[in-house]
Amino acid sequence: MKDWKKIADAHNLAIPDADLDRIRPGLDQLEAAFRPLAGSVPHETEPAITFVIPPEAAE
Amino acid sequence: MTTILETAKALRARQVSSAELTEAAIQQIHKINPKLNAFITVTEDLARQQAKAADEALARGVDHGPLQGIPVAVKDMFSTKGIRTTCGSALFTNHVPDTDAAVVEKLAGAGAVLLGKTGMHELAYGITSNNPHFGAVRNPWDTERIPGGSSGGSGAAVVAGLVFMAMGSDTGGSIRIPASFCGTVGLKPTSGRVSRYGTMPLDFSLDHMGPLARTVRDAALTLEAIAGFDQRDDTSSRVPPSKYVPDAAPSIRGLRIGLAHNFYMERIDPDAGAAVVRMAEMAEKLGAHVTQVRVPDILALNTVGRVILLVEASALMERHMNQRDKFGPDVLALLDQGRLLPATDYVNAQRLRRVMQREFNQLWSQIDCLLTPTTPMAAPRIGENTVPLGDATDDVRLAATRLVRGINVLGLPALSIPCGLDRRGLPLGLQIIGKAFNEAGVLRVGAALEDATDHHRLTPPA
Repeated sequence: MKDWKKIADAHNLAIPDADLDRIRPGLDQLEAAFRPLAGSVPHETEPAITFVIPPEAAE
Repeated sequence: MTTILETAKALRARQVSSAELTEAAIQQIHKINPKLNAFITVTEDLARQQAKAADEALARGVDHGPLQGIPVAVKDMFSTKGIRTTCGSALFTNHVPDTDAAVVEKLAGAGAVLLGKTGMHELAYGITSNNPHFGAVRNPWDTERIPGGSSGGSGAAVVAGLVFMAMGSDTGGSIRIPASFCGTVGLKPTSGRVSRYGTMPLDFSLDHMGPLARTVRDAALTLEAIAGFDQRDDTSSRVPPSKYVPDAAPSIRGLRIGLAHNFYMERIDPDAGAAVVRMAEMAEKLGAHVTQVRVPDILALNTVGRVILLVEASALMERHMNQRDKFGPDVLALLDQGRLLPATDYVNAQRLRRVMQREFNQLWSQIDCLLTPTTPMAAPRIGENTVPLGDATDDVRLAATRLVRGINVLGLPALSIPCGLDRRGLPLGLQIIGKAFNEAGVLRVGAALEDATDHHRLTPPA
């Protein structure tokens, strides 16, 4: 499992230890559910949010 | 309780005036709102002015459609010019916008009378509407229970008869959950169908705006008033809106309706499952072809939705994170979680969203719409953090969003209609999910089932 405290400290997020303790189980559960999914994405798949130049920019 | 359509006829027949309707609604709010806390702000003076204008316009023969002169409300995350808009947050307690949200503009253009701003879960980030800054919104069926959320005030106000319709927003079920828990109709339109301009966002790619109302037709006529392209909203769709209000006797004969045998009927209260099966049987009696279908992995879809929401909401609120005392503990916990997820997870969640959208869309070759419970159970008690479901105990937030969250990830239209009461006498909801931009089809199924049953006529005990 990830060390969420180290991640918080590295990003200078200033999340108090008690608050981190409270969210750790949820993060661990999400990590366990998401990691296999993230590894399954076909390489060529674009994200659902992509940058599109609006038509008016060409005018 | 009368509907917007019935009241619109009465207004035009001069059997009642908008001023009378509005005054009666104000008196009801004074009497009932202290028990429910459904409103954060009541706009009495504005409502009286708008009602007078609506009556005068009708007398001159100026008719803007069925919402003209009808008392309505909007969730307190829709900007209202000159009227404070808090988003249920201590950060915005004194925020007074200088413009109206697109939906507020459209409702005003349709002649609706704005009675106020409804209570909500803090920042629309939760499903209880137990707000640490403005107090708990209470469910009219049992004031010890939550109305759902985040549009809890809108659901409570509609079912308590304080307004005919109240607007909500839905990022992970926040229209459909209160509709289910309060026993109202709630419509989450297709992504891009209703402008988000002027709403206080929770999320960039999952927020949807839609009505909570007493009947399917009232929700449909509201959609007709608020739908359409808006160049001020980058996600607004140019797909033209259609006629949404179902015919007097809508036919669903021959329609292919799916009932999922996996996921949606698992780990739910047996009463919720039985109510949905009864509605499916009713659809069959009305001539629809109901078939059992297997849906793609909705748990995975929900996981993707959680990653997207956690990161987008935290990005939005990052500049306020130095004011930790301004957040309630549940919202703060979600915002902290989102700050700890890596950018690669967010991008991969958005890539998975594409894959899952393609997988789910294959369902539409087999069926025209999908019936599911809206929530796995009826409204929990205020302060309850877990609910027993099947052999396990579930977190209330995750349980309430389990059957609705994924549909936001897919951007599909979904309607919740009342489908009966559980053994304790609490309302349950049926979710009708359709193809993108087929709100008309979803509403037609909803209206046919509503016409054939009387669940929408049930009202909370006095």
